[in-house]
Amino acid sequence: MRSNPADYDLVRPRSLPAVLALLAAQPGVYTPIAGGTELMVQFGAGHLLSTKLIDIFNLPELNAITVTPHEITLGAGVTYTTLRNHPDIARDLPLLALAASWTGAIANQNRGTLGGNIVNGSPAADSPPALLVYRAELSLISARGTRRIPYSTFHTAYKKNVLAPDELILAIHLPRTFADHTQYLRKVGARNAQAISKIALAAIATCPQGIVQNCRIALASVSHSPFRCYATEKLLNGAPLTQALILEAQTTLKSEIAPLDDIRSTAAYRSQVSANLLIEFLTQLLPTPYSLHPALNTFNTQPTPEAEQSLRACCASQTWAGTVAANRPYPSKEALLAASTNLWFTLPEPGWLEAFAHHPRIGETRSPTTAFLSHSTSEQAATQQTIANLADELAELNRAYEQRFGFLYIVFASGRSAPELLALLKSRMLNSRTAELHEAAAQQNLITTQRLERWLQS
Amino acid sequence: MALRSLTINGEVHTFEAPPMARLLDVLRHQCGLTGTKEGCGEGECGACSVILKSSADQPGLLVNSCLIPIAQVEGASILTVEGLARFSGNEGQLHPIQTSFLKHGGAQCGICTPGMMLAAVQLLEKNPHPTLAEVREGLSGNLCRCTGYMKIFDAVRLCYQHEVRHHLQEAP
Repeated sequence: MRSNPADYDLVRPRSLPAVLALLAAQPGVYTPIAGGTELMVQFGAGHLLSTKLIDIFNLPELNAITVTPHEITLGAGVTYTTLRNHPDIARDLPLLALAASWTGAIANQNRGTLGGNIVNGSPAADSPPALLVYRAELSLISARGTRRIPYSTFHTAYKKNVLAPDELILAIHLPRTFADHTQYLRKVGARNAQAISKIALAAIATCPQGIVQNCRIALASVSHSPFRCYATEKLLNGAPLTQALILEAQTTLKSEIAPLDDIRSTAAYRSQVSANLLIEFLTQLLPTPYSLHPALNTFNTQPTPEAEQSLRACCASQTWAGTVAANRPYPSKEALLAASTNLWFTLPEPGWLEAFAHHPRIGETRSPTTAFLSHSTSEQAATQQTIANLADELAELNRAYEQRFGFLYIVFASGRSAPELLALLKSRMLNSRTAELHEAAAQQNLITTQRLERWLQS
Repeated sequence: MALRSLTINGEVHTFEAPPMARLLDVLRHQCGLTGTKEGCGEGECGACSVILKSSADQPGLLVNSCLIPIAQVEGASILTVEGLARFSGNEGQLHPIQTSFLKHGGAQCGICTPGMMLAAVQLLEKNPHPTLAEVREGLSGNLCRCTGYMKIFDAVRLCYQHEVRHHLQEAP
């Protein structure tokens, strides 16, 4: 139920000293409100517990932006719109400007403040991962004085922080030392505007002579508060950037985060996507990405419809091809094959059946779409040599198989003789439909993997 | 309960309201300006969008009026959909964005339309000839549940196609 405004008070001392004096006189009584993009939502929904609010929006002392040779200091009351439009922020702290650009939408950006985003303490908040990798520090102020702390020590638990009841964030300090760093920020959510992220990863590093240095990584939505990935950073810093290191870094990252299932996503999805984003970042760090693999390089950079077409020649499932293409770039052949396999086994049955339907029957070279002929013909070469005398039997069993299970018989035929294939078909006829469906999917995955490998070698 | 005043569409309105009364409710229930709609009440849908100018030297900013406590905007100027025609540059004529919405069929049920038009005005003030991508971004906080987005985007994108920009500076 909506709150009754008559039950609430909102006081407006129009200077910072006056605000601090009131907070000091009655500590814990007043809740500061700035742009209202969080507290007014709670108020509208009847969930705002504090009935006494103190307005800190547009206080000149909280709106200042100071740029010195070594540091940019942002007043806690600076709005996202200002963060987006400030030329020094765009140049020196691009990740912060990017995060601001997809926080809420225009109207929220005109009101929401950086200090509010920090104090609100949502683990999914957009700006904290960037603040963490930039080694932000916070000035906290009260009538008792100011203190400066690393932002990384600000959050203590879910929606808890180190602010005393009479204290406000005065400013956020950011070093100006990242010009030569590779900088990365990506939000994964239902859409950029308005939607709260399912996962977001910020990272920066340098990589002189192929050695990772100055690497810092932070994630949203994987812990009780914005999360800095110290273990993964430790693994990476000082190490030569190899495919082996990238794989190990993924494992370390997955082991140090503890995402949850919630209304927006699942723990498993968040864990895998975090690792994928890390690969994407580390791939950008490589001096000449993909240079070892021309075919993969082409695939990673070609337009989506062409990439999907190449994939569908390996496996005809539209969902599979669309998703594998959408998740480009892949840093290595192994990463592509792993992504392909992982995705394939998560497809619902229609996705599998769509792929099965595009195979020729064993012993036939006809296929519903011609794109497969080049692959299918060579896979079945061994079969064709000895097929003549077994053709009738195979054809008959194939028909029986289709009648029993409702889909084409799928087998990884490479290197198998016709008698072997016949024996295998007979044994698989004994499976339940569920077991056979999964067997066929496993066979399809072997086929797809081999086709992908051949295609990448071509 | 304090007596407060607000300039809305160029006219001063006086009313009584507690400090946490939402600007949206004041507009609709105390000033009788029901053109501003309530959709979600939590800053997600943009139906309650208005343009707020907190002082003479500040630019007008698009805001969700459901998230503004009235005490925070005392003495400010507000532009709502009812004021668009007044600031069209031609007294008694529709604002060009209204004409463009009509011309391109940019309204179906009409609930999102006032907010859409104010978001469009904010965008066009900075950028009178936006690309489709810029229109989509400028309107990304305004949801249309009739999903008539393409016609809305057309209305915004083509608003000033044949017109000289001359009137928006006068808006509050």
